Amino acid sequence: MASNNLELISLVESKFGDKIQVQRNLLGAATITAHNGLHYDVMKALLEADEKTGVTSITGLDLGANLGVYYHIHTSKPFITIKAEVPKVNPTIKTLIDIHPGAAFHEKEVADLVGVVFEGHATPGHFVLPETWPEGVFPLRKDVKATEVKPVPTPEREANVLPENQRLVKIIIGPQHPALLEPEKFSVTVEGETVTKVDPRIGYVHRGIEKSAESRTYLQDVYLVERVCGICNPCHAYGFVGAVEKILKADIPERAQYLRVIALELNRIHSHLLTLGHAGLEIGYETIFQYFWRDREPIMDLIELTSGNRVYGSLITIGGVRRDLNSIDIPKIKEGMKNLRNQLPFYNKIYREEPTLRLRMSEVGVMSREDAIKLSVVGPVARGSNYDTDIRKDIPYEAYGEIPFKEIVYSTGDVWARMNVRLDEVEESINIIDYALDHLPSGPIKVDLPRAVIAGEAVCSLEAPRGELFYYVRSNGTDMPERVKIRTPTFANIPSFLKSAIGESIADVPSNFVSLDPCFSCTDR
Amino acid sequence: MIDFELIFRILVFPGFTFLFLLTLFCDWMERKIEARIQNRVGPMVAGPGGILQPLADFIKLLTKEDIEPRDAKKIIFKFAPLAAFAIMVFAACFIPIDGKSVLTTGAGIGGFNGDLIVILTFATIANFLLFLSGWASNNPYGSIGSARVLTQFLGYDIPLFLVALAPAFLAGSLQIATIAQIQVTTLLPFAILAPWALVLFVITMQAELEKDPFDVPHSESELVGGLETEYTGAKLAFLHLTRDIQVVFGSALVVTLFLGGPYGPVFFGPAWIWYTIWFVLKLLVVVAVTEYISTVFARLRIDQVLSGNWRILLPASILSLILTVALVTWVYNPLRGA
Repeated sequence: MASNNLELISLVESKFGDKIQVQRNLLGAATITAHNGLHYDVMKALLEADEKTGVTSITGLDLGANLGVYYHIHTSKPFITIKAEVPKVNPTIKTLIDIHPGAAFHEKEVADLVGVVFEGHATPGHFVLPETWPEGVFPLRKDVKATEVKPVPTPEREANVLPENQRLVKIIIGPQHPALLEPEKFSVTVEGETVTKVDPRIGYVHRGIEKSAESRTYLQDVYLVERVCGICNPCHAYGFVGAVEKILKADIPERAQYLRVIALELNRIHSHLLTLGHAGLEIGYETIFQYFWRDREPIMDLIELTSGNRVYGSLITIGGVRRDLNSIDIPKIKEGMKNLRNQLPFYNKIYREEPTLRLRMSEVGVMSREDAIKLSVVGPVARGSNYDTDIRKDIPYEAYGEIPFKEIVYSTGDVWARMNVRLDEVEESINIIDYALDHLPSGPIKVDLPRAVIAGEAVCSLEAPRGELFYYVRSNGTDMPERVKIRTPTFANIPSFLKSAIGESIADVPSNFVSLDPCFSCTDR
Repeated sequence: MIDFELIFRILVFPGFTFLFLLTLFCDWMERKIEARIQNRVGPMVAGPGGILQPLADFIKLLTKEDIEPRDAKKIIFKFAPLAAFAIMVFAACFIPIDGKSVLTTGAGIGGFNGDLIVILTFATIANFLLFLSGWASNNPYGSIGSARVLTQFLGYDIPLFLVALAPAFLAGSLQIATIAQIQVTTLLPFAILAPWALVLFVITMQAELEKDPFDVPHSESELVGGLETEYTGAKLAFLHLTRDIQVVFGSALVVTLFLGGPYGPVFFGPAWIWYTIWFVLKLLVVVAVTEYISTVFARLRIDQVLSGNWRILLPASILSLILTVALVTWVYNPLRGA
């Protein structure tokens, strides 16, 4: 097994020889250009060489006469990108779902938004776009102007087709449902009380942020991508900024790196506390909901202290951060961390020992490590299934390489494990913030970078609270990006829910689903 | 001839008005306890400490628009909540609040031998009417919620009856007022003589009242409002009131069957004042305990609720009855020399 990424690339290089081109240190550790269906074989070779290989994202691009299909692949070590191109007139490319089922969602999205046809993967109807969207118009192609798209009349609502098997019943959860705080539709087929199939339909709150980003300047885009999600907005800002800085090959001052880490970890704490409380509400445990949200409030105050605003702080900007911490702020943050740390034993006790909570969470939504890898699951959901993937460890960004912290992994793979991963990560985040505050370097907090970005492309991955957040940015030398691709953690995790819900009781669907910490405004960028 | 005392007893004290105010007070106390346990403040605007909040909510709901779904079964939809409320009040009237049952005037403690069974049956009928109200609203959430009410009370009624027989056996009577009185006059409260039955009764009551950890019919994350989903205005007010009076009724049963009911020491003045005070104090303790239980647990799943009933509670209640019968026959009665 190739333990080292460079070995892995050499292996692929020697296997395919001249048929592919390898460029090192581009879009991850290397970019492999493999046309004419070779991407399939390269992927197969990678899968055989490294068990942790999976598709992080697929970017579809309009390259003029051709459509680019970029497969962003993660392995046990950093990233590889496989580039393939197909002619616009006949945009067919071989699907990967037969060797890696985790690619299915990404392929569906690319098919819907860019119009690539994946051979062997039927993608009927719209997946992201509304039903009123005209056929054959693909919004992420350059020739499509958003203002000129004429919606077609809403198709007749098709009758709820009963499954042929009389013992099956179809229950539709969403788009409006009490268990879902945001609109998305899941058609659940049940036999008696047992779930046999879940069909998702996303896109109910799609805002076309990827397309809008192409007509705004880089600085405006920082604020735009923050609007992808209210909860993890600093992560989105960092994902975009990190990719742009990589294109510019900018050196970010050390102090700014540490301040970014503090902002990202504060965000992680607040997001995890939110979910831990919300899971309590979902299983009818209102008391822990109230407790978690009470303790989340001081964290929101600290976010306000560091960035100037409770929710949309916009602390991270291109070249560094906007605001510095002074000697009055630092003790306040430390005090807040100390108070939260004192609360944690109580929460640990509740989550580990409370019998009714264990009854609702243990052995619910179980997902094995193999499935987690096969479906390219990310974040706490993967780590709850004993799949150690944490971008902060795998590809350290900013100051994470210098800060000691533990990667939390649980092995039971159920809802309980996922929630406990989050609970333990809160503690680790407190440690990280304490360490960062103690070792905060002095110096400037920002470098000035040009407004127009030289032509190039870059990817940026980071560990958002919900899992790996992935950005691909391509610039063309102007002050507006050519293409911005965002792959959010929930989008990658929904397939895991579709899998783990099968064979379980319909009553477990809400608590299983909420254990993904789903964010549909992320899913529908 | 019109019996004015009876009318007063039924309509004002200790009948309807008193029960109504007691229910609202218990509602306020529950909300306050829950809020304090959850580190919130709870109601605090209407009246001192927010004590008038339940009344304000009730009046507010009465003034709201009353919407009936087109497909609802109108008559049942309209009258089931009212009927459920009326039956609960009627059942509560058998409980000796001021020393004798509400429907009695003159001397004596009122009631008749077997009224324990009657009021438990009334409680079941009230639950059935609640089920009908949700069923008639013709809404999927309402239907599932009311189906859950039905499954739950059908399951938990059996242990409830079995456990309620333990005090009856200890007292040697099925007359609820006698059961209460005998605990104070000749024996010890049954909470001391048969603590296992008390524990089982409180747990079963928790399930009958659909409180956490057994509140599956109200699980908001799955069922919106459960059987209340389609209800608005005055009908919703009465559904809420029925729910609250069920809590009072259940707690009053615990007080009467296990804690000696209203009977206690009389220091001065008329006995009924002291009886009422004892009754209310004991009742508030029970309400506080049940509310505490429901705050510190998560909601179970419907299948866990049911299997918990059939696999644990039912055998336990049968055991409890056997234990009680054995103890009464071979230990308590010989000790009393009866």
